[in-house]
Amino acid sequence: MPPRMRSSKFASLPRPAPSQSSRTRPQTITHNAPSSRQFSQTTSQQVTLRRRKFYEWLNGPGKQLKEPLPSSTNYLGAYDKYGNLVRAGPGYQRGAAKPQERGETKLTETTNEAAASTEETKPPEGQESLEALEDAARQEQAEKKDEAQDDSVLPPETQEDLRPFPLNQYFRSQPVLSEDLREAIYQRVKRDGATVSLASVEFGVSNERVGAVVRLKQMEKEWIAQGKTLAMPYSKAMLEMLPTTPYIDTSDPANRGKRPIVHEPINDLIVHPATRQQLWVPVAESRQFTREDAGKAFDNSLLAADERIPHPELVKAERELASGLSFDERRKLAEERFAVETAQKKKEEEAKQAEIRAQKVVPQRRWDFVFKDISVESAGRNGRDARGVGWRYGLPHQDRKKGQVKIPTKVEA
Amino acid sequence: MRKKPRFHSLKKLKVRQDMSRWTLYSLSQLRQPNTTARTFFQQKWTAKADTRAYHGEQIREKKWARLFKRSIPAVVPMDHKYLARHDGSEQAAGRGAGADSQDKQRTPPMTPYMQMAYYPIERRLDTAIFRALFASSVRQARQFCVHGLVKVNGKKMPYPGYMLNPGDMFQVDPSSVMFATGAQKARSSTARRVAKEKAAARAEAREAQGGQTPRQPKPEVIVPSKGEEPTPAELKKHLQAMMDDVDGVLAEDVGAKDKQKFRAFRQTVKRAIGLWRSASPESISTLDTQFDFLKTQLAGRTSTPAARTPDAVEEPLFSEEDQAKLRQAFEKLKLETEHTSAWNNRNAAAPYATPWRPRDYMSAFAFIPRYLEVNQNICAAVYLRHPVARPGLAEVPTPFPIETGQLAFNWYLRRR
Repeated sequence: MPPRMRSSKFASLPRPAPSQSSRTRPQTITHNAPSSRQFSQTTSQQVTLRRRKFYEWLNGPGKQLKEPLPSSTNYLGAYDKYGNLVRAGPGYQRGAAKPQERGETKLTETTNEAAASTEETKPPEGQESLEALEDAARQEQAEKKDEAQDDSVLPPETQEDLRPFPLNQYFRSQPVLSEDLREAIYQRVKRDGATVSLASVEFGVSNERVGAVVRLKQMEKEWIAQGKTLAMPYSKAMLEMLPTTPYIDTSDPANRGKRPIVHEPINDLIVHPATRQQLWVPVAESRQFTREDAGKAFDNSLLAADERIPHPELVKAERELASGLSFDERRKLAEERFAVETAQKKKEEEAKQAEIRAQKVVPQRRWDFVFKDISVESAGRNGRDARGVGWRYGLPHQDRKKGQVKIPTKVEA
Repeated sequence: MRKKPRFHSLKKLKVRQDMSRWTLYSLSQLRQPNTTARTFFQQKWTAKADTRAYHGEQIREKKWARLFKRSIPAVVPMDHKYLARHDGSEQAAGRGAGADSQDKQRTPPMTPYMQMAYYPIERRLDTAIFRALFASSVRQARQFCVHGLVKVNGKKMPYPGYMLNPGDMFQVDPSSVMFATGAQKARSSTARRVAKEKAAARAEAREAQGGQTPRQPKPEVIVPSKGEEPTPAELKKHLQAMMDDVDGVLAEDVGAKDKQKFRAFRQTVKRAIGLWRSASPESISTLDTQFDFLKTQLAGRTSTPAARTPDAVEEPLFSEEDQAKLRQAFEKLKLETEHTSAWNNRNAAAPYATPWRPRDYMSAFAFIPRYLEVNQNICAAVYLRHPVARPGLAEVPTPFPIETGQLAFNWYLRRR
């Protein structure tokens, strides 16, 4: 079991009694006498020490993991080695939690603690802290759950409680989008016509995830239109077991003053391979050596971080704010940027359409023949370039050779 | 021949990629590697053996060794406000720039690169299915692929070794997912009796057909008519049929066993929409778009000129109350689908225990890594990007401590 310390305040918790474990031991273990069939190859069916320990653990500490905790995650990392839930107060008893009447939400001690701990482990300047984001999501959930001050209610999970693999402290179960949040993202993009990057900034969800949510939600709606059966019991059970990021509807007057919860950092800068090496560049101390210069020092074509993050427009907007421009001026600039961007996108789309129109298509019974312009030169110097077309004289195919994989490498969407 | 070792052995505890109690027990018994009393080679060997028993044990070692990459993707979350207010020169500023006292440097948390040694395996289709919680083990996910229950971007993908590309959507048959993640069915006499009765009924039907299997009803295809615009007479006929079905749907109970009315309504709506050539399958895929389409196409239209009497005012074909009624019918359709989907009752024909509940010990393994976006309702997921390492977090789910990860990474590094 993980080396989680068992604090003295949980000493009053009931430990699994040995008598109980022997009572609930499954029937599959039978106390056979040693077999008389010495020649038999089947493994011994008698209770070995290892098997006894296995069932002792399953019926003792492991018993808590058999069923999910209601409206909470239930990972191995949340328990100490005796099977006690570490974060539970002394008055907590599993399955005894009753639905409380709705009261005023208030910050509890645990949230203050969490805030303090993030203060200590603040990330270096210029970086976002993942822990702070996830703590925010959990606190919101905890507030939703209407916890009273008494101990019979589970406090929200800490970082350690979200570890399915207690020994690996660099992995934890991160929240997923709740059903409401997915619907809100879909509506914002499909109904309101917001761009993906705008929705990404608004909901604090990365660009790719916004696209994926819309695509999946669209498919779900199509299933409903076709009358297909959805896997709803499965979905409900899974979202109950997983940590989720709730949706805060800011248009709702009940949520006045609240801000939407950021699901994940949206400005992830990919570590460029050229920056993996250490570099010593002597620079005059009087020189203004900026991020752009640093990028050039690593690789001539490497842009500064401001350009390479997924939302460079946020940096530009922030810079305009810092330079003291008025709201109208900033809005004008933002609109100009948006116009340029849409024009660029339109141009690209038109170019793509023109390319498709330029192709000659001859429809046949099963397949259509498509004629494209190709160049002989594209086969390259040794004739093996992937862009080369057709069979080239004197160049045998590789596909019957040993070790050539025929699994497709991509599927067109 | 040597006997094949047990997959879950209590003698040699191995953590496997599944949701079984044996794996849970092995997880609980995992210890830090012994680094004091063993040679470096021994340590690396053990680390490799342990991690390979978890990561892609269904792949041959040679194949994995070719997959291994020493460069591991990583990202750094940037703060756009900081980027906007500083140009980076402040980090190089020393005494000459007027910096007199050294501030306490805040060091970022370590980026656990070597916990990501097995990241190429996470790209495999079978592993991704397991990580999206659609199967209870990687071997089962593999079987789903091979049995043709998995689609990638809408096309059947029978290769479990397919390497997902960023943006690929994969979906698994929902009933299989519910079987894989649901509690197991206890064998009961009722279930056996039901199965026998069903088999008898099927045999009887075959007899009645004269030894032929009963013909499945063919799904109806929308046949767009030739013209751009439908003729008024056609339109009126279809509209009448649709409004008749609307009444049927509104009268029907949502929880009804016989879904005939709902099905008929869906068909008439499809047929009515199929009159227009401008209706492409994408534009009318959801109930909302279907309703909007019908509304915009029908609202301004007047009834047929032949039926019109000269003194009567031109009345639109599709009145306000008809619209409201149609809206109601669509709402009811939606409700009916959701009701059928959420309906979780005893069903002896299902291959899992009913009412459905998650299998034992599932909650201990229920996590979805960030590089996947999953929609559980339709059992589909999108592979967003490759897993990355970030400060203080490695996205590849691995049960082993960082020391073991480093040793395993070094084992494979040796051969490059």
